[in-house]
Formats: sequence, structure tokens, C-alpha cells
Amino acid sequence: MTRLHRRQALRLIAGATGATLASPAIIRAQTPSELKIGGMLPLSGPAAIEGHQVLKGLEFAVREANAAGGALDREIVLMVEDDEANTTRGVIAVRKLIETDKVPFIVGTYASAVVIATMQITKEYGVPLLSGGSTSVAATDANEPGNPWFFRSWPSSVDQGLDTANAITDRFGARTVAIIHDSGSYGYSLGDQVEQVVKDNGGAILSRDSYNAGEQDFTTLLTRIRSEKPDAVYIGGWAGDGAMIVRQATEVGLRTQFVGSGSMVSDDFIELAGPASEGFAVATLYEPSTPNVYGAEFGKRFEAEVGQAAGTLNSLGFDSTSIGIEAVRRTGGTDSKAVSDMIATGTADFPIVQGPEGATAAFDAKGGVDFPNFIAVIKDGVRTLA
Amino acid sequence: MDLFLQYLANGIVVGSSYVLVAVGLTLIFGILGIVNFARGEFYMLGGFAGIGLATVLGLPLIVSLLGVVAFAALLGFLAEQILNRQVKDKDPTNSIVSSFGLAVVLQNAALLVIGPQPMLLRTDLSMVPVEIGPVYLPLQRALIPVAMIVLVGALHLLLRHTWVGMSLRAMAQQPTVARMCGIRVSRVAIVTFMTGAVFAGVAGFLMSSVFMVHPLIGNMIVLKAFTVVILGGMGSVTGAAAAGLMLGLVESMTSAYLGNGLRDIVGFLMVVIVLLAWPQGIFGRNLERS
Repeated sequence: MTRLHRRQALRLIAGATGATLASPAIIRAQTPSELKIGGMLPLSGPAAIEGHQVLKGLEFAVREANAAGGALDREIVLMVEDDEANTTRGVIAVRKLIETDKVPFIVGTYASAVVIATMQITKEYGVPLLSGGSTSVAATDANEPGNPWFFRSWPSSVDQGLDTANAITDRFGARTVAIIHDSGSYGYSLGDQVEQVVKDNGGAILSRDSYNAGEQDFTTLLTRIRSEKPDAVYIGGWAGDGAMIVRQATEVGLRTQFVGSGSMVSDDFIELAGPASEGFAVATLYEPSTPNVYGAEFGKRFEAEVGQAAGTLNSLGFDSTSIGIEAVRRTGGTDSKAVSDMIATGTADFPIVQGPEGATAAFDAKGGVDFPNFIAVIKDGVRTLA
Repeated sequence: MDLFLQYLANGIVVGSSYVLVAVGLTLIFGILGIVNFARGEFYMLGGFAGIGLATVLGLPLIVSLLGVVAFAALLGFLAEQILNRQVKDKDPTNSIVSSFGLAVVLQNAALLVIGPQPMLLRTDLSMVPVEIGPVYLPLQRALIPVAMIVLVGALHLLLRHTWVGMSLRAMAQQPTVARMCGIRVSRVAIVTFMTGAVFAGVAGFLMSSVFMVHPLIGNMIVLKAFTVVILGGMGSVTGAAAAGLMLGLVESMTSAYLGNGLRDIVGFLMVVIVLLAWPQGIFGRNLERS
């Protein structure tokens, strides 16, 4: 009798253990009540600050979509992987999202190098990738024209540089320009581009200087530029160096129109440069004061819920995620190939918060969306659109 | 001519900042024969400590400065325990390798605790102008050469005229004889490390109002400091002071008349030429003994 009891007890324990061990395997893949979507961003490592800002846009888009009933009558669950802005980690992250979580699309990532490294895998599986901040033309150029699977719902870095360069001569009316750029490929190519555009527009380049990223002292360079009396100074490089240049320019008494590259769009730039940033001009995709009505409303909702003013990084995360979710809704299923085709051709009427009034997710053959960048000028410590 | 004087002044300010970071490095090498690659991190931590005390705790600048001195001295004491006491006797290269290790640990600790964001110390001094003839400098920049002269002068007096200084110099000349004469070698090592760290920390604090501080800034700093130390002669405080000012001036003039992109190239060219002419550095000691 005792023995039997023991056996029964063992059987019960075994059964219970088996059930708990088995159940996680069942809920791993997509379930009838949940719809998993993928997010891949640098949440640690050198681009962590940017990655976390983009993530806020992703999370906000998912919260809003769920408040509106989710997608396919299921609750949307965001699965986020950290790629550390590292190509190897990115490849692992993408495989995990596709093979284990079976997501219909992935929003990611910030670093263009990681996007390019992972594009081959997402192509193989037919899973669309929506940019999480990557702006380089190299990523959209890696798409097969007419059959893209990487999507960026805003202009490339080349278009951004062009808009900025044109603003120097057209908007600010500068005839003479001094160029300062860092000695990396980012700074050099921007320097080349601005030099070309200014000359084409009938302006003159007074001087062109390079510096090593992280250099600390620019006073002598800026003193010399002061003696050249340029109408405008263009800075191409990272935000930290740009902030140092603008600060030291006020110290040496160089007062002119400063125009910076797209990397200087962050609030950290204004924080570091301090009052010296007044009047500084930079290209931007989104500001809460945008003339885009849909974007302005997004800005109000975002600030009310997240507790910070929405910026370019939040807005692009929001757009990429919303486009992906909308494509799933319109497809009516989670087949990633169908979702990819839907994004490529079927969302041209879907509004986006970035860009001018009426901007939509109308992707071109290479998976990009082109609209003019805003040129914001910093006024009282805030980027303002004219 | 006015512009030339302004370039000269800029060069002196930047050169003085090089002197401040190089002096402690050359001191530790001259006395203990240890090359400390974690020096840039002492600078970085001094800068962060100062910003923390002055802006987060809101202490007056002079109190913050004393806080940085105490903090840097403690860092120097701990570094001595690791780089000198534990490893040096087994093989002198051990301390070089472990100073690299210490640098990596401190950088990553700062990244974890403080984050990658660059910081600046905001003071009311930045917009106070100092005008000397045609030369214009904001007060906080003009203070850097002053601080350099005061600190290097103080170090000079300490080395020449105090008992501690004499034992330091005795150690530098001949450690074995110094030991036989009753100098406590371990105490001298601690004092040297603490002095060196205080110099780096104070430099970091002073410069944090002019240049940005971030966890990886030490890499840049240590590179410049080594250039200056090699140029001036390893172990020579006077040499480091002269070489630092010289490098600052050469860089400033290059940037003014040849183009900013050439400034590091010309700086290193100068190092090569100096070393070809004086292999021990400008003020280096001739190590050949009879």
C-alpha cells in the first residue's frame, strides 16, 4: 500500500514537471493571442545613447498600436535584441528573431555597418528590415532595385548633405564659406560634397581644414578663420567635436553663421555647446514644431506619455515600427514575404511623422523615401524650424 | 603681427596643458623607472571628480579643487600598490603591462558608472575676457599657463628644498645607495605616485572647463604626454616643461600657417628630428656611466 502511494506520488510529480518543461516550448513561437515583432538596436556599446532613444520610438508605436486593438486581433509584443553596434552580434540577433521568435518583420538597426552585415540573412529568409536609424546610402544600394527588403522611410545621408549644403548658399545667402571637417571618411565626404555644392551655387570656399576626431583645441584654427571673414562656416563631424568648435569660436570672437552635419541634431549638442550654439543650423527629420500635422500630434502624445520632447531618433523608430505593423494589418497574415511586398508597394498612402506635411511611406525602388530635410536653427537652446 | 601674437598665446595655453599632464609622468619614470600608461585615466577621473564636486554637489571651485587633490592622491596611492609594490620587483615590464590593464579597467569602469556622454565644467569664468595688448583670452584659458607655472614651480621647490624632495632625488640617482643611507624606498614610491596622480588629476580638473572630459579621453592625453616626455628627456621635469610649451607652439603655428590637418604630422616630425639630434631628449640625462 505504501509502495503504491509512493509510485502514484512519483507519477504525479513526473507529470507535473513534464508539463512545466513542455509549456515554454509551446509559447516560444507565435501564439494565437500574441503577435511578435522584432527590434534590433545598439542598447550597449558606443551607440547606446542613440539606440535607447530609437527604442523609445519603437515601444511607443507598439503601445499605441495595442491601444488601437493590436494587429490581426492579437496583442503586439516587441522582441528586442541588443546588437552592441557590432556586426557579429547583429547577425546573431537577427537569426534569433527570425528562427526562434518567427517575427514577420524587424526594425533595426542604428549602425549602417550592422545593417549591411545582416541584410544577407534577412534576404535569405525573406524578412523585411526597417531601418532603426541607419542613413548610409550603402544600405539602400545593397538592395536589389525593384525588389527591396531593407526600408528607410527618410532621405539618405547624401540627400541630407545636399540639403544642408544648399541651405548655406540659398537660405543663409552665404557667398564665402570656410569648411572644417574631421579626417574620417564621414567628415571627408561631407567636406567634398559641401565644397562642390557651394561652388556650383556660385559661392567661394575660403579655406578647408581637417582635424582628428576627438581633437581638443581649435582656437588657432578658428582665429585664422576669423581673419578670413567667411559668411558661413560648415562643420562636418561628430556632435562632440562640433560642440567644441562652436564653443571655442565664441571664445576667439568668431561670429558668423555656423552650419553643421546631421550628427549634430541631438539635444546633447546644445547641452555641450551651451549658449554658443545659438544660431547654429543643422538638418533635421523631425522636430515637435514640425508643420507636418500628423507629426505634430505624435509629438504631443509622445511627450505626454514618455515625458520628453520627441526628437529625430524617437520619430524614426516610431515610423519604422508603425509602417511594419500597418503592413501586417493590410496583409492580413504574418507571412514575412507578403509583408515585405506590402511595405514595398502597398503603404504609399500611410502617413509618417517625419518630413514635411503629407509625407508618406512611399518607398522608391531602392527602399528609400525622399523628402527635403528641415533646416533647423537653434534659438534659445531649442532647434526651431523657420 | 596681432594675429601672430594671438597664435603665440594660443600655443602657450595648449603647451601649458601638455606640461601639466607630462610632468607627473616624467616624475614617476625618473624616480621609479615605471612607465605609467594609466596616467590619462588619472586625468580623466580628476576631471570627472571635479565636475561632480562642483556641479552635482555645488561646492565652490576651490573646495572642489581640494577634493580633486585628495581623490587623486588616493588614486595614486592605490595605483602604487598595484603597479609598483605587487609586480615591479619580478620584472620591470610587468608594471608597464599592468598599467595598460589598469587603464582599460578605469576606462570601462567610467563608461559603466558615468556613461559615454562628454561633459564640461561650466564656470562663470568662460566669458570673462583677459586682454593683453592685441591678445585676447577668456579668463579660464589664461589661468592654465598661470596654474602650470605655479604647480611646476611648487614641484621644483619641493624637489630642491625639502627632505622629501632630497630623498626622491636620491632615489632617482641611485636607489641602492639611497636605501643604504636610510631612505625608506617604499615610502618614496608612494609619495612619487601620489604627487604624479595629483598633477594629472588637477590638470584634468583645470582643463575640464576648457576641453571636454569623457571616459576615453585618457588615450589622447597619454599620447601627448608621452610625446612631451620623450621630447624633453625621460625623467626631466624642466625638459617636460620646455618640450610641452614647444610642442604647443609648433602645433599652433602649423595650424595657423600650414593647415590644421598637418598639426599632428609636424608635431611628430619634430619629435623625430629632436631624437635624431639628441637621442636622450632635449634635457635628457646621459645614461652612460664611467
